[in-house]
Amino acid sequence: MSFREKIHWASFFALLVAFGWYFLTYPWKIIGTAAGVGAVAGMLVPVTIIIISVMTITAAFFAIRTPKEANLKEDERERTIHIRGTHLAYYPLVLGVWANMIAMFYRLSVGEHLNLLIATVVIAELVRVGSQLYYYRRGY
Amino acid sequence: MAPAPFNNDIRTLRFLASEMTQGDLGDKVGVTRQTIAAIEQGKYSPSLEVAFRIAHVFGKPLEEVFRWQNDIP
Repeated sequence: MSFREKIHWASFFALLVAFGWYFLTYPWKIIGTAAGVGAVAGMLVPVTIIIISVMTITAAFFAIRTPKEANLKEDERERTIHIRGTHLAYYPLVLGVWANMIAMFYRLSVGEHLNLLIATVVIAELVRVGSQLYYYRRGY
Repeated sequence: MAPAPFNNDIRTLRFLASEMTQGDLGDKVGVTRQTIAAIEQGKYSPSLEVAFRIAHVFGKPLEEVFRWQNDIP
């Protein structure tokens, strides 16, 4: 397994754990209030810390264990995998933006819009990283 | 993804070149060991540049390393 694939696995699990915690523990009953908006901001802080910590620790761990692989430049196959994953993530991103625009006509609260946007980004990221992992595993 | 429409003799050529590892070949060509493995297995079609670089490492012309499968139009 290449260095970049390991980093992708870490990223995938960090996203799942951090945003899994976010969506499971978010106080949905107060989503329409100012406190609901504050909860989004407040909860994004630990989510960001979790993701950055996991990524930093994982990258450092594997860079120390296999420094040669860590210093390798992205090759053409990895670039292709990178581009294909980003391309696939574009679709959920666009769908999410459209869902948010449509939701504006239904006068949703700021908290609901924020959570819809966060869900859009998370799904797009999971599709991006997940598809890249799939291509890494398949060989392409 | 469909398999590559050509075969390659990279594995044999590596063996004949003092049992060169996939990692060694990757270093010489400028790609990762995993990419060499994917090319060998026909899971990834390399760019023309990488194909030429692989052939150059073994001192062979391109068509002795990669061969188009005759049953594919």
